Amino acid sequence: MDQEKMEILAAGGIDAADALDRMMGSEALLVRFLGRFLEDATYQALCQAVEAGDWEKALMASHTLKGMCGNLSMTELYDLFTRQVALLRAGQPAEAAALMPAIEAAYGRAADAIGRLTAV
Amino acid sequence: MEMQNPLPVPRQERRLLLIVDDDAINCAILENIFAPYYDTAAAENGWAGLQRVRERENDLCAILLDVMMPEMDGIQVLRCLKDRGVLEKVPVFLITAETSSAVIKEAYTLGVMDVISKPVIPYMVLRRVQSVVELFQARERLSNVVELQQADLLAQAKQIIELNKGMIETLAAAIEFRSEESGDHVRRIHDITEYLLTHTPLGEGLSKIEVEQIALGSIMHDVGKIAVPDAILNKPGRLTPEEFEVMKSHTVQGAKLLEQIPQLRENGAYPYARDIARHHHERWDGRGYPDGLKGDEISLAAQVVSLADVYDALSCKRVYKDAFPREKVVEMIREGQCGSFNPRLLECFFQVEGELAKLYHNPCKEE
Repeated sequence: MDQEKMEILAAGGIDAADALDRMMGSEALLVRFLGRFLEDATYQALCQAVEAGDWEKALMASHTLKGMCGNLSMTELYDLFTRQVALLRAGQPAEAAALMPAIEAAYGRAADAIGRLTAV
Repeated sequence: MEMQNPLPVPRQERRLLLIVDDDAINCAILENIFAPYYDTAAAENGWAGLQRVRERENDLCAILLDVMMPEMDGIQVLRCLKDRGVLEKVPVFLITAETSSAVIKEAYTLGVMDVISKPVIPYMVLRRVQSVVELFQARERLSNVVELQQADLLAQAKQIIELNKGMIETLAAAIEFRSEESGDHVRRIHDITEYLLTHTPLGEGLSKIEVEQIALGSIMHDVGKIAVPDAILNKPGRLTPEEFEVMKSHTVQGAKLLEQIPQLRENGAYPYARDIARHHHERWDGRGYPDGLKGDEISLAAQVVSLADVYDALSCKRVYKDAFPREKVVEMIREGQCGSFNPRLLECFFQVEGELAKLYHNPCKEE
């Protein structure tokens, strides 16, 4: 993967080198999965569940997102979801919900970076 | 002896790696890592995973299992696999973002091989899984080898036992031939002894092995005749008192002969064989030889063989007599014309004599 793309992803909170290692060096696989991350409806499900106060659903969604972000080395989002899952497990839904603005901002940056990547 | 194939035919090596995870990206990443080394299959939840295990149990070399999944979680899957006995044959790895120590402890207690955290680091997960898979495969190969070697050893032991029996029969038959009888006599003594101890209350309290050992011992009852000169052994007429004394010595000589075979002394049949050889001419009334034992002083084994010997001698032609018809044989034994026997032994004998008579369907035609 060339330097330009690496930098675009880094700006979106994504550690491209680390993610590529996990894909055994396959850039095509990484790009495909990043695209799939954007299409995935789990993020919307999380927003709705938090809004509705359905903490069980929120936990499932946050856990799934944590796994995805971990695998794609989206480090900013991964850290946020890790904290959110821990708070929901610990029975602190208010604190978990309070992370949503930070998550929304990080998700936006990541989505933007992925969008720019496919345009390069 | 046939050469045994030293190496087992290798069983088809297991090489299917099953990934059970609801996260499609994670499944794809793991498949991508393992595809160069194994066949891979993926299942998107616990139920589907168990389904795949049922279909391909004998192909599986490892299972990678997520914990948090819809439908059925990883711990439940693990429990089912344990109940099915899969965990002994197929290593299961938990691949999980779950950090709760209670869950990890439960997984290890259930028998999981290793817990690997998500997101995975490829070289690490690959190495940890491969090492265990190789270990399982080596263990299976080894147990196959051991199984085959055990079967070989059993077959060889059986062969040796058969050979032993064959040699004993040969020796006994050789002695019978000298007295111009056929080897069938010893074989029938064996069969009659075995039948009486297996099909009548006489054998109560004896194990199957003990009965076999007594029957084997019965084959050697007349080995002492090897020490009796032909002139006496095959004399058609009546023996003089001196000759009869020599003839009688075959009991003591037989026991002595058997005592001198060290390998036989270690055999379970030896005490029976020696006792039978020495005492198969004792009589219930105490007027037999060589020791003049009386009643229950004579062992059951010697009593049974003694009766079997008389029954067979009467039923067949010998140098000194013709074969008697069956009715006559039974009458002579019942009336005590051919020795005195334990009444209980006679009772049991007459109960099954109909079956024993079938041994003489072609009544001793070779003799």
